[in-house]
Amino acid sequence: MLRMKTADVVTGLVLCILGIAMVIGGYTMDRLEIRSIHPASIPGLVPMILGVLLAICGALLTFTSLNKSYKFDIDVDDPKMLFTALGLCLGFALVLLGWIPFAIATFIFITLASYFFRESRGETTKDKALTFAKSIAFAAIMSAAISALFRYAFLVRLP
Amino acid sequence: MMTVLDSLAQAFANITQPMMLFHVVWATLLGIFVGSLPGLTATMGVALLTTLTYGMGRDPAILVLICMYVGAIYGGSRSAILLNIPGTPASAATSLDGYPLAKAGKAAKAMALATTGSALGTFVGIVMLMLIAPPLASIALKFGSYEFFWLAVFGIMISGQLTADGNVLKGYIAGLLGLSIAMIGSEGIHAYVRFDFGIREMSGGIGLIPVMVGVFGFAEVLTAISSRRGVVERSPERSGRSLPKLAEVVKHRVTIIRSGIIGTFIGIIPGVGEDIGAWASYAAARSRSKERDKYGKGSQEGLIAAETGNSAVVPGSLIPAITLAVPGSAASAVLIAALFIHGIRPGPMIMIEQPDFIYSIAVMLLFATFAIFVFGVTLTPLFVAVLKIPYSYLMPVVFTLCVIGPYAISQRLFDVWVMAVFGVIGFILRKMNYPMPPLVLGIILGALLDKSLRRGLILSDGDLTPFFTRPISAIFVAIILFGVLSGIPAVRRLVTGKTKGTATREQ
Repeated sequence: MLRMKTADVVTGLVLCILGIAMVIGGYTMDRLEIRSIHPASIPGLVPMILGVLLAICGALLTFTSLNKSYKFDIDVDDPKMLFTALGLCLGFALVLLGWIPFAIATFIFITLASYFFRESRGETTKDKALTFAKSIAFAAIMSAAISALFRYAFLVRLP
Repeated sequence: MMTVLDSLAQAFANITQPMMLFHVVWATLLGIFVGSLPGLTATMGVALLTTLTYGMGRDPAILVLICMYVGAIYGGSRSAILLNIPGTPASAATSLDGYPLAKAGKAAKAMALATTGSALGTFVGIVMLMLIAPPLASIALKFGSYEFFWLAVFGIMISGQLTADGNVLKGYIAGLLGLSIAMIGSEGIHAYVRFDFGIREMSGGIGLIPVMVGVFGFAEVLTAISSRRGVVERSPERSGRSLPKLAEVVKHRVTIIRSGIIGTFIGIIPGVGEDIGAWASYAAARSRSKERDKYGKGSQEGLIAAETGNSAVVPGSLIPAITLAVPGSAASAVLIAALFIHGIRPGPMIMIEQPDFIYSIAVMLLFATFAIFVFGVTLTPLFVAVLKIPYSYLMPVVFTLCVIGPYAISQRLFDVWVMAVFGVIGFILRKMNYPMPPLVLGIILGALLDKSLRRGLILSDGDLTPFFTRPISAIFVAIILFGVLSGIPAVRRLVTGKTKGTATREQ
C-alpha cells in the first residue's frame, strides 16, 4: 500500500522536473529563422507555456500535499493479481507480439490469462487440471476467431 | 422548417434499410452487454468498436458507434440495479436507489423505470440536439483564432474542474498532461517535428485511438482484475413486469424533463460526461422532491432522475463534438476521431459542408433509443445471464481486442506499445485520483490550442490585446477566470465569508 501523501509529493516533484524540461525543450527548439517565420509563431512557444504551468501545478501539488492530512491511501485489493495481469498483458503486447505469429501469441496469452485470472481458492489438483484444459480450449477458439475476424473480415495483415 | 423535415425524412429512409436496422440491433445489444459488465465502459466499447468499423461505409460506421454509446450508457444500469455495482461510472447514481428497490423485490420494476428514464432522457437530448446544434454551429462560424484558443482553454479548465474527485489541481494537471502529449510530433503551422526523440513513429504524433484504448481499455482490465470487481455474488430476481405503467411515467414527467435538460447541458460542457450528468440530475431532483427522505433508500424518482440525466448526456455531448469538434464526454472524443477516420470533419463548417449530418445523427440516436427500450423491456433474463460471464474469460479477450484494435488502424506495433504505456499510466493516475477525461480532452484540443494561439499572435503581430478585447474572447476569459478562482479554496472562503477551517471536499 502506497501512501497518497507520498505519491502526491513525488508526483508533484516529477511534474516540476517535467515542466522545467519542457521549458528548456521549447526554448532550445529550432526557431526557424532561416524560414523567416513570425517570432510569435515559433514551435517552442506553447511547450514553454505548458512547461511553466506544469511546473507551477507540480510545485502547488507538492506544497499542498506536505501541509495536508490525508484520509485515505492508494490501495489495490489484490496486488498479486495486479502484477500477474501486468506481466501477462505486457508480455503479450510488448514481447510476444511481433516475435511469434499473432494467433499463437494470442493463444498463449488467453490460455495463461484465463487460467491465472480465476478465483483459485480451495481448488484441488484435479480441479486445476480441468480448469487449465478449459482455458486451452477457450483460448484455441478465441484466438482462431479473433485472428480470422481481423484477417479475413477486416483485411488486417496480422503481426 | 421544410429543409429540416426533408433532412429528417432522408435520414429515416436511409436508416430504415434492412442492413442499417441490423446494425442498430447488434450494435445496441453489444453496447448494453458492454455497459452492463462492470469493468467495461462506454468509452472502451466505442474505442474498440471504432477499430472494427474501418472497413464500413460512413453511415453504418457512425450508426454502430452511436448505438454502442447509447446502449452502453443504458446497460450500466443493469448491474447497478441488480448487483449494486455500476456497470459504467455513469450508473453510479443509479445504484443508490436502484439496488434498494431490487433488494425490496422490485428489481424488474426498477429496471423498467431505468429503461423508461434512459429512453426519455435520450429523447429529450435528441430534441435539444436538433434545436441547439444548428445555431451553435452558426455562432461558431464567428470564432476566429482568438476564440478557439479560449475555447480550448475553457474546455480543459471546466473538464478538469468538474471531473476532479475532490482536488481540482489534479484535474488541471491531467489536462496539462494531455496538452503536453499533444505537443509530440509535427505541429500544424510550420510542420516542425517536436519532441520525437529521434523515434520515427513519433513524428506523426501520438494517436488518439491507441491512447483511448490504453487509458479506458487496458487500465480498466487492470482495475477489474486487481479489484475483483464484477464477481457476481447474488442471484437477482428475474420475474416481474418489465414495462412501466404509463401513470408512473406521467407522475414523474417533471423530473424526466428537468433531468433531460440538465443532462443535455452537462453533455454540452466539454469533457465532463455522463456520470456528472447523472449526479447533477439526481441532486436537482432530490432538492425539489417532496419525498427527499426516500432518496438513497429506493426512490423511484431518484432512479429515474439519475438514468434520465446520464442518458441525456449522450446527445448533449455530441452537440459540441459535431459543431465545435470539442467533445462533451470521453466517448464522444472517440467519436470525433471516428468521424475523421470516416471522412467527416466536425466543426463549425459542418452545417455548411454537410447540413444534413446533424439530423442524420439525431435519427441514429432515435433508433438507438428505440432499440434500448425494446431490448430493455424484453431481454432482462439475457442481461442477467451476461452478468455471470466469468471475468477470467472475459478480460483476456478484452485485452486481446485492446491490442489488435490500435494495430488495425496503422498496422504498426508502435501503436500497440503506445496503448500499453498509456494503459499503465492511466491505471496509476486513476489510482492517484487523477480524472481521465481532461487528459483525453487535452490530447484532442492540444493542436487547436497551439495553432490558435500562434495564428492569433501572427494576425495581431505579437499583440495579446485581441485575446482579451474581442467580445466572445472576453466572455470566455471572464468564465475561465471565474472558474479558476472559484476552484481555489481560499478565494471561495473569502467570497462566502467563511472563516478558516471550513471543510472542503478534499481528503
